[in-house]
Amino acid sequence: MMTGASKSKPPLLREDGKRLDGRAFDELRPLSIEARVLNDAAGSALVIWGKNKILAGVFGPRECIPRHDESPYRAVIRCRYNMAPFCSLEEHGRSGPSRRSQELSKVISEAFENVVIAESYPKSAIDVFIDVLQSDGGTRCAAVTAAAVALADAGIPMKDMVSAVAVGKVEGHLALDLSKEEDNWGDSDNPVAFASRNGEVLLYQMDGQLTREELDQAMTMGMAASKKVHAIQTAALRRVYERGGEVSVPLYLTPGEIRQ
Amino acid sequence: MSKIVVPGEVVSDQPQRMAYTFSDGHKTYATALSLLSDDGHLVPLEGPYEPLVEDIVVGYVTDIRFTGYNVELGEPFSGFLSSRDSRATFRLGSMVQARVINVDEVKSIDLADARPLEGGWLERISPVKVPRLIGKRNSMINTIAQMTGCQVIVGRNGYVFVSFGGNHALAVEAIRMVEAQAHTTGLTDRVAALLREKGGKAMPKAPAAPVHSSGGQGDEAADSDYSPRSARAPQNPNQPQV
Repeated sequence: MMTGASKSKPPLLREDGKRLDGRAFDELRPLSIEARVLNDAAGSALVIWGKNKILAGVFGPRECIPRHDESPYRAVIRCRYNMAPFCSLEEHGRSGPSRRSQELSKVISEAFENVVIAESYPKSAIDVFIDVLQSDGGTRCAAVTAAAVALADAGIPMKDMVSAVAVGKVEGHLALDLSKEEDNWGDSDNPVAFASRNGEVLLYQMDGQLTREELDQAMTMGMAASKKVHAIQTAALRRVYERGGEVSVPLYLTPGEIRQ
Repeated sequence: MSKIVVPGEVVSDQPQRMAYTFSDGHKTYATALSLLSDDGHLVPLEGPYEPLVEDIVVGYVTDIRFTGYNVELGEPFSGFLSSRDSRATFRLGSMVQARVINVDEVKSIDLADARPLEGGWLERISPVKVPRLIGKRNSMINTIAQMTGCQVIVGRNGYVFVSFGGNHALAVEAIRMVEAQAHTTGLTDRVAALLREKGGKAMPKAPAAPVHSSGGQGDEAADSDYSPRSARAPQNPNQPQV
């Protein structure tokens, strides 16, 4: 952001060598997921990941409008990533769709095209609406994580769950799940989405640079972290049926601890 | 005991052909949020309707064309009922019970054996919960129909017609209860208890022949408590049906 870039780079590590929020380099921020939080969406999820708050709602398979988007071979999957005007102090979301949100909508849609069994619903559309209510770095990973839970909650047939996490480089150290400062001022930021079953990479973007060796190591770290994210996604879906399948409005939900 | 499985979770260590699963040649994985019982039976908890030939469906007319009617069957599906295949005539919004006679590769649905439904309303439930609403040998639907005095017609697609004849509100409440608690056991008894408590009529002693149609698919519901669909559902959801 321009407002941020004009400031000089803040320190990204504490004096004791830990990260600003006291995390170790391979530690995720606290993550909580609640599935089925909306009445009228076929499936929905609320993800609270550190200071990120993301809501995802799924509709469909339903009639594809506009008609020229539809395919006789498969359902089209349309994810719409959007940042709320109040999600951060910066310009995010202040004036509707942006270059950035269009890009994210596109890459998230393409990630899910690999796992959703869309051939069963030709000439229809599956819509996933992802709204960032509060952002603090890593929203695209949180958005993918939320969308996967919402799709599963809706019963859309999928070959796999998708779990995403960012890996980056902060002050020369590889670090997991970058916060906003680490993302803006760090050396590299790599959001990665993994298929939980076979570890296929469904989304990978790179900002800044890593050496080949660092990349190898980063992917190993990301893979291990995505398993933890997947466990929390699964637990959220199971909890829906433990509470009797009802819609929950989790106003009490706070970021939970992650067992390492 | 049964456990809840999420998409991509292993259902069987052998490749198997089962509804709501797919196989990579080594193992079998769930494709939907489902209940996996100890004997390897998989029952989906959520999901859209999968139209199949011979399904009895319920819907309403959304368009009248020269050659027939478009019947809404719940998104994303609508069926076409040819006037040639129907003696009855319908108006816009008429409720219809019909049989699926053809589903083509783009999931266009042709209907026949249409019957107008009058003097009631449609309720919408999740299509994967329809077998549970019908019950073993129509037990659930007969209980609801007889104790409330309503005619209840269940379509495979998730629309349920409930007539105004008896205690309509109570019948709807019971249907909603079945939908909400479909994954639990002993549901028929609890539904009967609810109906008794709220002033439903007593069930006749001997189980009478079904007076009220349940959609005509009760035979399949007979062998298991809640998953009659597996036997005829598409073997592999990855491969479009022909």
